[in-house]
Amino acid sequence: MAKRKRKKLNKKLVFLFLILAGVLAALVFTLHLDSVVRERFEGKRWKLPARVYARPLELYPGLKLTPSQMVSELSLLGYRETPEAQEPGTFRLREQVLELVSRPFVFGDGPQASIALRVGFVNGQVQELVDRSKKSALGLVRLEPILIGGIYPGKNEDRVLVKLDEVPQHLVDALIAVEDRRFYSHHGIDPKGIARAFFATASGTVQGGSTLTQQLAKNFFLTPERTLRRKLTEMLMALLIEFHYSKDEILEAYINEVYLGQDGNRAIHGFGLASSHFFDKPLTYLDLADTALLTGMLKGPSFYNPRRQPQRSLERRNLVLSIMEREGFISAEQFISGRNAPLGVIDRPPRGTSPHPAFLSLVHRQLQRDYRDEDLRSEGLQVFTTLDPQVQLAAENALTNRLSQLEQRYRQPGGSLQAAILITSTQNAEVQAVVGDRDPRSKGFNRALDAQRPIGSLVKPVVYLTALQQPHKYTLATRVADTPLVHQQAGTEDWMPENYDLQYRGEVLLRDGLIHSYNVPTARLGLEVGVSEVLANLRRLGVDRRVPEYASSLLGVNEFSPLEVTQVYQTLAGGGFRTPLRAIREVLTADGVSLQRYPLNIDQVVDPAPLFLLTRTMQDVVREGTARRLGNYLSAELQVAGKTGTSDGFRDSWFAGFSGDRLGVVWIGRDDNEPSGLTGASGAMTIWGQVMASLDLAPLVLPEGEGIEHVWIDQASGLRSAADCQGAIILPFIAGSAPEQAVPCAQDAEKKSLKTWFERMFGR
Amino acid sequence: MKKLERWLACVMILLLAGCASLAPVATEPQPPPRNEAVAALFDLSRSQSAAGKLDMAGASLERALRIEPQNPELWQELARVRLNQRQHREAENFAAKANILAGTDTQLRAENWRIIGQARTSLGDYQGAQAAFEKAEGK
Repeated sequence: MAKRKRKKLNKKLVFLFLILAGVLAALVFTLHLDSVVRERFEGKRWKLPARVYARPLELYPGLKLTPSQMVSELSLLGYRETPEAQEPGTFRLREQVLELVSRPFVFGDGPQASIALRVGFVNGQVQELVDRSKKSALGLVRLEPILIGGIYPGKNEDRVLVKLDEVPQHLVDALIAVEDRRFYSHHGIDPKGIARAFFATASGTVQGGSTLTQQLAKNFFLTPERTLRRKLTEMLMALLIEFHYSKDEILEAYINEVYLGQDGNRAIHGFGLASSHFFDKPLTYLDLADTALLTGMLKGPSFYNPRRQPQRSLERRNLVLSIMEREGFISAEQFISGRNAPLGVIDRPPRGTSPHPAFLSLVHRQLQRDYRDEDLRSEGLQVFTTLDPQVQLAAENALTNRLSQLEQRYRQPGGSLQAAILITSTQNAEVQAVVGDRDPRSKGFNRALDAQRPIGSLVKPVVYLTALQQPHKYTLATRVADTPLVHQQAGTEDWMPENYDLQYRGEVLLRDGLIHSYNVPTARLGLEVGVSEVLANLRRLGVDRRVPEYASSLLGVNEFSPLEVTQVYQTLAGGGFRTPLRAIREVLTADGVSLQRYPLNIDQVVDPAPLFLLTRTMQDVVREGTARRLGNYLSAELQVAGKTGTSDGFRDSWFAGFSGDRLGVVWIGRDDNEPSGLTGASGAMTIWGQVMASLDLAPLVLPEGEGIEHVWIDQASGLRSAADCQGAIILPFIAGSAPEQAVPCAQDAEKKSLKTWFERMFGR
Repeated sequence: MKKLERWLACVMILLLAGCASLAPVATEPQPPPRNEAVAALFDLSRSQSAAGKLDMAGASLERALRIEPQNPELWQELARVRLNQRQHREAENFAAKANILAGTDTQLRAENWRIIGQARTSLGDYQGAQAAFEKAEGK
């Protein structure tokens, strides 16, 4: 009896022990799951890329802007054309009147509310701005800036993480309507949903039983196993997630995590990347139909792939829209317009998620001076840049078009030419456009920043500036010998520069050396003023490093990147004030608090007077010299200044030039450094001309500085001449430096000699 | 006859007075046609400066400069903001830029030289400051 009792007790103990062990095991398992959930969740949640914006468009009466330019700006912002512009992000164009509703946005100087605006255009200008709700005229309206990309965690852009506040409300609505109607009220699992799903499945219609939280938990696993155990674990995880995190956090994680398709061997996770992959747009710009399409794909990303199954995915999209209408998320009108919208999916997925990777890499580099890379990739910073989308697109188009034309014309293999462009604003050194590859979307080698190439004659303005800074020795009318030159220096080979046409002209005026880019007079002048002096000036103007000094440095044998060249010419275009090139205006935290401004600063490094002489002569380069064919692209009234550059053996074709408001530098060459057959004028200059012709340039009007006088000069002798003589031109001089000696007018001289002949003939 | 003379004298006096009061108005330089947006940003910057928000005042002026990059008044105001920010070297540079763009506007130039003088004083360059103040006086 006692034995039995003991046995019973033993059995009970064992049973209790087993239960305890079970509970303990469950507890350990739960704790383990809990740590897994938290680790996965935190790890994903806190890595927000820096968001990078273009410059905001500032509208004001008098701004040069056509309705079609405005529409292209709005479509880059993801605005939709609607019959009535009533909602933020919509517009309506009627000939010369554009109505729109802007989106609210937080700028560095504070939040800006949405505004219902009417823009009236006249003759390619904004004529008036009217606040439609207050019916009052406005002097200045700033649109929200275009999102141009992000700085992402990891090397591969396998995620485009988004914050919930940049997710379109339509997407959230669609997810709730279709995937999880009681999302905001359940605790991770939804018994009613499960029951409904069970009956729905039994009756043959389609219904998923998982809540969004469960689906998120499922995404934490690596394999799509389907067992009861897995299902139970998933439910437990969902409960744990709900215990730790808010609904908004869960929704944000879901939107960033969920699987939406396959791109080769890359999985498309998250709506941010899917938006880029299918629409080539940031998620925040997607409209109702687009978000419905993506939501519809959740059910079977490859079955409903809109590229392979357009009809099937269209029907699925419309089903999502009808559920949204039924659930009261959208009106009947919205349903109809959404249903009638085209699929909108781009044919091929874009390469990379930013349309302008070359500009973005310049931004990234400038940011790295002030921020840890880790913070850039995870803190969700907002970066406001100087990119001007109109200028950038003009540069990309000109480059792509011209390169293939040039290859055909100069019999280069297709695809062999490469190029780079930088365009900046002359007065504040803001970088408006950067292209670093003939495929502007390529994320590879960025030639604008990293190609080091001999700059050829682009260095010549620095040689002439160095001379003109000694007005007692050199003026624009100084005669310089153009005769064979042999420069001997111990330890180096003799240097014998030649002119491009292999001719010698005996003697030329200093200005002609630059205007026609003569090598021999430039070399002679440079050797007189000193190679070190010239290179010191180059550093003063903008090159921040020492470069080897050769006599041939005077003709541009040293290698610089297009970015470095731009910095040097920036100082010339900016009136002798050195201003560091800026791609960033301001950085804000994710919450819109200003972290850092990058204010404009200038430093006067060149006296205005010699620079005035140089710039005038660079205008003559375009008017009558090596760049005169720019006249095929631009009106002479713009008076642009520029310089062509060609390196030895036609390996590099350069052009640098500026108008009153824009500076551009263009390089063309081959990556294998083989000859391209192009000169600066036949290659780079044509791209420069095409870009600038498509922008509305301001003419280059040089302010007449103090201490400049204008004197008539006889072109043949470089001496003073009477006004309007044949072969005489008027040239600027630094006061007191003009030649004193005068020659008689060529015509007068003829008359005089005739007179003496008569005198001799007939005596008095 | 005497009455007529008196009348004429009165008319003459009135005419002269009228001319005298009209003359300076006619010779005063016309203010340049101002862009409304630029004017608004200029005023915004002034009020930000007054509130001690010098960073923002500078940012507003930069916005205005993007619209009118050659406007010397904007460059001068930026010099003033930098002076208040105690960035004297920058103030001097901005005033020099304003000077180059000022053309024949002697008043604007004089004010630029005063700013340069103040900046140089703060930098300890008393000789340079003296020279700048003299230029401001038109010497």
